[in-house]
Amino acid sequence: MTAQLTDRVLDELIAALGKDYVLTSKTARMNRARVPAPFPVHRWRERVPDLVVMPATTDEVATVVRIANEHRIPIVPRDGGTGLTDGAVPERRGIVVDVKRMNDIKEIDLENRTCTVGPGINMLKLNEVLAKHGLIYPDDPASYPCSLVGGRIGTSGWSLVGSRYGHTRDLVLSFEIVLPTGRVIRVGDGGGRKVSKSSSGYQLKHLFMGHQGTLGIATEATLKLYPKPEAEFSPFWAFADFDSAYACVGRLARAGVATFAGAVLFDEWKVDYLRRDDEAYIPQPEDVRALVCAVCYGNSDEVRAGGKRLMRIARDAGARYLGDEISQGDWAARHDRYATPLHGRTADGQVAPMSWHCEDAAIAYTDLATVRTAWHDIVAGLRNKHPVFDDWGMFFYTSADTGVDYLTEIDVGIWEQELDDASWAAWVDAKREIAAVALRHGGSISACHGSCREGEVDLVPEELGGGYDVMLAVKRSLDPNNIMNPGKYGLQRAYEDQP
Amino acid sequence: MNERAGEPRGTPGYRYDEQHDAPPARQVSDVAVERFEHIFEVDPKLMTVHVAQQLFPNWDTLRIAAGRGDHLEWMHRHWAGTVLSGQELLDEIERESS
Ligand SMILES: Cc1cc2nc3c(=O)[nH]c(=O)nc-3n(C[C@H](O)[C@H](O)[C@H](O)COP(=O)(O)OP(=O)(O)OC[C@H]3O[C@@H](n4cnc5c(N)ncnc54)[C@H](O)[C@@H]3O)c2cc1C
Repeated sequence: MTAQLTDRVLDELIAALGKDYVLTSKTARMNRARVPAPFPVHRWRERVPDLVVMPATTDEVATVVRIANEHRIPIVPRDGGTGLTDGAVPERRGIVVDVKRMNDIKEIDLENRTCTVGPGINMLKLNEVLAKHGLIYPDDPASYPCSLVGGRIGTSGWSLVGSRYGHTRDLVLSFEIVLPTGRVIRVGDGGGRKVSKSSSGYQLKHLFMGHQGTLGIATEATLKLYPKPEAEFSPFWAFADFDSAYACVGRLARAGVATFAGAVLFDEWKVDYLRRDDEAYIPQPEDVRALVCAVCYGNSDEVRAGGKRLMRIARDAGARYLGDEISQGDWAARHDRYATPLHGRTADGQVAPMSWHCEDAAIAYTDLATVRTAWHDIVAGLRNKHPVFDDWGMFFYTSADTGVDYLTEIDVGIWEQELDDASWAAWVDAKREIAAVALRHGGSISACHGSCREGEVDLVPEELGGGYDVMLAVKRSLDPNNIMNPGKYGLQRAYEDQP
Repeated sequence: MNERAGEPRGTPGYRYDEQHDAPPARQVSDVAVERFEHIFEVDPKLMTVHVAQQLFPNWDTLRIAAGRGDHLEWMHRHWAGTVLSGQELLDEIERESS
């Protein structure tokens, strides 16, 4: 334990939660020191929390937060721990509040099509229960089996099927949040729990979405539900070059098909990567250089009609359908990218154990092609100097039903055990450059994960301009003692001119 | 641990020796081989320096591949009642335009 955590604090926490839920063991703490995003593992110790608490109710969370605030101890909310921007990493140590025990379904309202849940529930598990009522909560990240509702709120998550159903910010109607002083409030679109559109007051729901645990801890959420789709359709097409695939994905996304839930473009680097390890792509002929997939969900007759229109558009754009087996199998695999092969290649082609890192940005359709070449150049420069990195190619996913912008990601394999201070510093520089390219092209640094990691975080004030000053002011007024996930988003600046 | 009489206790390995004889590898690309139909493996030549390969009985390779198939099937059922065939729609389009 560090000096900030005295026996008195420990006693107060145990009195509030019982000793079984105040965890001080090395394993409990070490396991909550990191997230899947690669980092130099020789620095693991720097991020180990002093202790972990596992509250079961909003009151318990509020009590823990009050104790932390009174003693000025850093506090970090943690849910599934799958966030890729280090949000749940306790950079200043202190107390990790793991909300996984708060995983109950409190209400399923069949008439209003909502459910109310604790933040520790996982969407897959929730949907197993909702399926019995013919319903679904369609928040579908590629971490679907392992990320949880509170973390989705903390990151303002992006969903694979968001072009049809919206993303986390659209699907969560309202939620309860414990502020950094321990006060509990409910935010939504206006005041009601089950209101999807209000004009009353500030729209606070958005303020408390995607703050990466810097403004409070969500303890309950009311979610919007849809009928479980009768049908799914997920065609994959091959192209001889990137430009034709790029043109095709644009046409598909702009077609106005109501059941269209998303489209994905894979570039040549991604196809090369898949040819090494993926059973669907290893046997593909050489002239397959780029890929597109689209997906539709909804009532059978509507999916069929919309699907047919998409098939026609793709055929007219010169696409070659890859067949039902690949199309259906690959789409099903997209819900769970933990299956990504955790190895890459050294410069001489040898297999080496590598972890997956995804750098993402939100980019308008017309800028995708130039961002792509700039990003690959950055990663190529990095790999030349440090062979512990490997370019795993790029994906472009539609974010909206009109095809305006795409979650643009470059996947980089990183040989984590070999990362030293020099290669890590080079990676941080590369991340900053990647973010700078996104901004130069009028985009946002992240569509999906958040932008608080070393490197890109330096550019957040540039991206948000005067909005960043508002962030500082909000942070300081809601968290006067800077206890809530301190160090993230450079928000310590909010306190620097204080006496 | 193998408890059968006559065999040394604690011998590592599996019950049936023939499970260790994988079918011959067919080179399917510069970097991949195929031993069982539709199951591709990274070419073992590429796994000689930085990673060690495990001894795998054949049934385990097949079990893992089948398990993956089951998982994907499950995921389809989890998300929707049925999965439409693109080939069927494409055939329909071709028929209509001919
Ligand atoms: C294989 C893989 C695929 C992924 N694909 C996607 C994807 O498609 N779309 C996408 O959006 N993300 C994706 N991610 C990233 C990650 O899964 C998401 O960011 C997810 O929303 C994090 O949820 P979590 O429960 O794991 O949260 P955590 O990692 O535990 O926390 C994330 C952030 O939220 C804060 N937080 C946690 N709980 C709360 C709470 N109760 N109240 C307030 N703040 C809280 C944390 O402090 C942290 O800053 C992927 C990750 C992996 C590993």
